[in-house]
Amino acid sequence: MNSLAKFGLLILTLAALAGAGCKKKPANITPLPGQSAPSGLTDLGQSPIRPGSGANKGSINPGTPFNTGGGTQSNPNPFGVSDPNGTSGRNGVGSNPDGTGGPGDRPDGSKAEDRETLKSDTVYFEYDRSVVKGSGLASIGAVADYLKSHPDNDLVVEGHCDERGTEEYNRALGERRALAIRERLINLGIAGSRITTISYGKDRPAELGHDEASWAKNRRGEFVLLGGPAKVGSLK
Amino acid sequence: MIKLPRILQQSTTFAALAALCASLTLGEDISSPIDVTAKTSRTIPISLSGYPSEIEQVLSFDLSVVGFDIVSAGKGQFELRGSADPAVKGALLETGAAQPRFSRIYAGGGIRTQAHALADDVVKEVLKLPGIARTRIAYRSATGERGVHHDIISEIYVSDYDGANSGAITQDHSIAAAPCWVPGQLKVLYTSYRSGYPDIYTQDLTTGTRSLFARYNGLNTSAAVSPDGTKVAMILSRTGSPSLWVANIDGSNPKQLTKTPAPGYEASPCWSPDSRTICFTSTAEGKAQLYTISPSGGTMTRLRTGGILQCTEPDWSPDGKYIAFTRATGEFTIYVVPSGGGDAQPLVAGEDPCWSPNSRTIVFTRGRDPSRRLSLLDVPTRRVKDVTRISGSCSQPSWTR
Repeated sequence: MNSLAKFGLLILTLAALAGAGCKKKPANITPLPGQSAPSGLTDLGQSPIRPGSGANKGSINPGTPFNTGGGTQSNPNPFGVSDPNGTSGRNGVGSNPDGTGGPGDRPDGSKAEDRETLKSDTVYFEYDRSVVKGSGLASIGAVADYLKSHPDNDLVVEGHCDERGTEEYNRALGERRALAIRERLINLGIAGSRITTISYGKDRPAELGHDEASWAKNRRGEFVLLGGPAKVGSLK
Repeated sequence: MIKLPRILQQSTTFAALAALCASLTLGEDISSPIDVTAKTSRTIPISLSGYPSEIEQVLSFDLSVVGFDIVSAGKGQFELRGSADPAVKGALLETGAAQPRFSRIYAGGGIRTQAHALADDVVKEVLKLPGIARTRIAYRSATGERGVHHDIISEIYVSDYDGANSGAITQDHSIAAAPCWVPGQLKVLYTSYRSGYPDIYTQDLTTGTRSLFARYNGLNTSAAVSPDGTKVAMILSRTGSPSLWVANIDGSNPKQLTKTPAPGYEASPCWSPDSRTICFTSTAEGKAQLYTISPSGGTMTRLRTGGILQCTEPDWSPDGKYIAFTRATGEFTIYVVPSGGGDAQPLVAGEDPCWSPNSRTIVFTRGRDPSRRLSLLDVPTRRVKDVTRISGSCSQPSWTR
């Protein structure tokens, strides 16, 4: 310990001398933040990272497991999100009790997903449009009928776009498409509280081609039933 | 550590004095204010001598990205002469001048960082601009994998502006998108579908800690932090349609700024450098156009773009003069328009424009999935260079400011 302390003192002294030297003479040596500096210069920091003009220090730490804010860590999010991991619970905030305005509460994951039953009712859209037309209206009517006869099922409407819009624009457009379908279902008498929406933008394409045939199949609204396959004739 | 500010200050003062002296004695001012409406500026020939190949590569990239032409010895208007053993040294010589414009040795930070610092000094000396060679970017990278329901699996990455030192900051095996740096901090906001739905997270890169920023019903995406670091603009659909919202940097006090009736909606906000205006995309009048609004509310005002429609992804230059955006007509083209509105000028084929901190370069995306790549556009010379050394299909770059 003693020799270590002496060594530390020596380093401090050298550093102070180096600093004093720098103070007197603005040499043409330009010290950079980063690894230990040669030629007696004081090390200016730990990291070569310099995001913009910021006064931040420290290295990027991408490898550690994410602390997603659970447990004892204080969660700065004031939105009433009680489960930062997003694995359970409804939002509580942003829900619409009357079910007519917002997109509806997200499912809590307790109900099984059924992507098959209403697959043939997928609604297709025109390029860059979110208005339901033609056969899409009939599909939504069929989905409404199904939901009326299966009151235990809830519904997720997925909105999708083709690759010709930009990413974030498409995320908004996909949500608008899903919401347009949801609004029509509500007009047909389905409780808004049963229907939530999710936009994938162009991140879940049905077809991978770069042509109109593929694009037409990607501009769509899909229906995912929650609560599993139908209990046929359970209620009429 | 106490000495840090003083040394930095001294070297800054010294450099500023040197730059001042240089500008006083320089006959022809070859730097020019960036005028995107003008014809492209000429490139500046410079030769490099004495450097090992790794350092020469770094210097070449850094200098050509900002409009220098790397030429053979004796053919340049400038010569950068030096060595890299054990530290990077450099003397900037101008043809016909008796004295070098500067002569410096770099210490610390590793040899690549030293080379970047030298390049930044050349840029500062010749172009009178702060350099970008030691800045970083965040971006989305699609791995090529498809998820259970054919999701394009993507993660958020950060790297040096040239693509070196890249690393994933998410490992969710989900859809991640729209990263945005918090100004002056090693902190990024982004959208992730890891919960099954699109939410906005904030992540501290020094600790790896992340927390939820926004998780309302429906869509939560396109976070944009104000340059003063106090507010976040974003797109939420919680009240029935994708609209522009603004909240405090800690997520508190969310406020809906636009109430566009369906089928209209909003997308992709950005901020003016004084944090007093938000520019965004809206389809309130049909096709997507750019609008501005105060973060405290009020009416949205259309930004004139000379009749150009389908304008998305605006990004306001840090000097306040221009707004770059993507025109999406099936093909993607990056345009630029004066921030007060006017005629929009096409710059380059691509999307996702994001200005460098010095308002000269734009990082953007070109190509299409599954092989999109990030590129750097030097606006005055219109020169484009790809960001190298990064993998995956990359898009949505965000530059540290």
